[in-house]
Amino acid sequence: MSASTLLLVVLGLGLAGWLVARSRAAMFRRAASDNRIASLPNYHGWYAALWIAVPALLFALVWASISGSLVMQSVLADPAAADLPPFGLQRETILSQAQAVASGAAQTVTNPAANALVEPFRRASNFYGIIGIVVTLLLAGTGAAFAFLRLKPDFRARNRVEKAVLGTLLVASLVAILTTVGIIASLVFETIRFFGMVSPIDFLTGTHWAPNPMTDDVNPDPARYGAVPLFWGTFFIGVVIAMIVAIPLGMMSAIYLNQYAAPRVRTWLKPALEILAGVPTVVYGYFAALTIAPAIRDIAMTLGVENPSSESALAAGLVMGVMIIPFVSSMADDSIAAVPQAMKDGSLALGATQNETIKKVLVPAALPGIVAGIMLAISRAIGETMIVVMAASATARLSANPLEAMTTVTYQIVANLTGEASTDSAATLAAFALGFVLFLVTLALNVVALRVVKRFREAYE
Amino acid sequence: MSDSETQAADAELGLSNPSGKSLEHENVEVGEPKMRARDVDVFYGDKKAIDSVSIDIHTEFVTAFIGPSGCGKSTFLRALNRMNDTIPSAKVTGCIELDGEDIYASGMDVVQLRARVGMVFQKPNPFPKSIYENIAYGPKIHGLVESKTDLDEIVEKSLRRAGLWEEVKDRLEDSGTALSGGQQQRLCIARAIAVEPEVILMDEPCSALDPIATAKIEELIDELRGRYGIVIVTHSMQQAARVSQRTAFFHLGNMVEYGHTSDIFTNPREKRTQDYITGRYG
Repeated sequence: MSASTLLLVVLGLGLAGWLVARSRAAMFRRAASDNRIASLPNYHGWYAALWIAVPALLFALVWASISGSLVMQSVLADPAAADLPPFGLQRETILSQAQAVASGAAQTVTNPAANALVEPFRRASNFYGIIGIVVTLLLAGTGAAFAFLRLKPDFRARNRVEKAVLGTLLVASLVAILTTVGIIASLVFETIRFFGMVSPIDFLTGTHWAPNPMTDDVNPDPARYGAVPLFWGTFFIGVVIAMIVAIPLGMMSAIYLNQYAAPRVRTWLKPALEILAGVPTVVYGYFAALTIAPAIRDIAMTLGVENPSSESALAAGLVMGVMIIPFVSSMADDSIAAVPQAMKDGSLALGATQNETIKKVLVPAALPGIVAGIMLAISRAIGETMIVVMAASATARLSANPLEAMTTVTYQIVANLTGEASTDSAATLAAFALGFVLFLVTLALNVVALRVVKRFREAYE
Repeated sequence: MSDSETQAADAELGLSNPSGKSLEHENVEVGEPKMRARDVDVFYGDKKAIDSVSIDIHTEFVTAFIGPSGCGKSTFLRALNRMNDTIPSAKVTGCIELDGEDIYASGMDVVQLRARVGMVFQKPNPFPKSIYENIAYGPKIHGLVESKTDLDEIVEKSLRRAGLWEEVKDRLEDSGTALSGGQQQRLCIARAIAVEPEVILMDEPCSALDPIATAKIEELIDELRGRYGIVIVTHSMQQAARVSQRTAFFHLGNMVEYGHTSDIFTNPREKRTQDYITGRYG
């Protein structure tokens, strides 16, 4: 019996349990003097179905994940496995070929040594397969018996079922949280390994970045792992240039949309602006690399700049700024809209013009929210990868000239992780350290921004 | 000015009501009114919120608008300094004059109008700025001051007139929102006074305040009478009786009756007014 058949059988049992329990509850109801039972028949049905299917399926899942290694263990314990090479690629090949033939995925083996192992594999997997099926069905039966014994007219099946639903919801929300914890754990682990090779002080204060994946495996030169130029490039592209574009444009469009635009204009313009946020960043990336960067180079050339770079920080920063506009404008829009109308009326009633009211009352009152929006936008900009991978360069350079090529943290993470170095080399591990630093910075920005927003909301409620 | 004096003073003046329907008591006219409304309708979209209201506002008296919720008294009040302009669907027809000038005429600068006809709102709405900046806001935007000394003077004078100076003189740099509700409302009145308006409209200024703070505001209104024309919308009939000399009763968008406050409360002409003030409805 294959896994999918087993699954269908268990679900079928669950359905049968549902129908039987439900009709039984209906019977209770007819027998009851006032036609009332503690829970509706449907809940009795669900109660039984959950007891039948959930423990059985959970077991089947666990069994499926461990039975492979159980099979392998029993095969290796078999006398025929004694001739296997102790480790290495050949051993793996023999084992996997034997397994493939045993399960019917392949017809013959190319390595004759595998032939002897086919039979042990087949025996072991049959054995553990049958155990799995029997235990699963037993569990389903036990669940059914347990549930049916408890069905009574005054049994509160609804409360139990609702508890089960609650549990499911809890697990669903935990999945996301646990994933985040896992990501952090893996980052921290690899970062510690990297800092075992290169000291954090060298990493955080050094100004020369030139990891060499070929030679750095054992004893990396700490002087090649100074990440300051990367931090500077990230800051310069993502914070300075992008924000010079995004803050004024985002603020102005928010003020226009919120205060001046006629409702008809607003219903068209606001979604149009939000489309900007929906453009895939890779599209922004080639727009920056193929359109903006050459244009900037041409303009720089006509202005008499000698030898301008075709991968300027300016191109990446400008396009990133455009990408960020919707974040700034929608947060600013929300914050301005959250300023009570009374505040605006108070200013207008003093004879202030709309312009004065916006400048002197609305924007100052909305400032905490606007600042929080800008912080979120910055955290988004410095974590942005695709645009810089396509439009920024690989050259790490400490320069304040926006026409020069610069690299960023995210660019180097991609470059070092997808490079040719082995996963143990300092160049690869450096990517984790960079990712960790980036994560800490964006996390801090997000936490601060959310706190600011929360306090601001409280002030007006 | 006591009520009996004003009554004697207006006794000889007749009543002019273009609609011909006698809404006003005969003895309420005195001299040239500060504001004059004639046949004013206010629409929200297609809905008529105010139906042909005519009334005169005098600087000498406090005028109270009373009536049940939704009767249009606040709507009419907001028409008097064109605050309804901020509501896109609102439309005002008829004629409202300030010193004989039509405030809805195309030549009328709404900014200037609101500087002359100030407003105090139901809920205190100080700006999230310092107490000083709250008062200084209006004079600054209207360019009323040349120097910091002038501004200091205006701030102090306005706060004194609003009876708030003694309470806040040592903490002018504190945020206006840190004051108590009653103090905030007096701050808002001081803010309105600071631009030297001619009329102050008050939209239920005490409805969010406790009785002690309410008493202070009422005292203040009494002190400001004569210097500024004051129109107050109130839900509380006791308050109308205490602070006003003229009362208009609104019901379902109509002005039912207008006259001396004492007459409206002791001797109403209309059954609807009587029902309302005796608590039959509303």
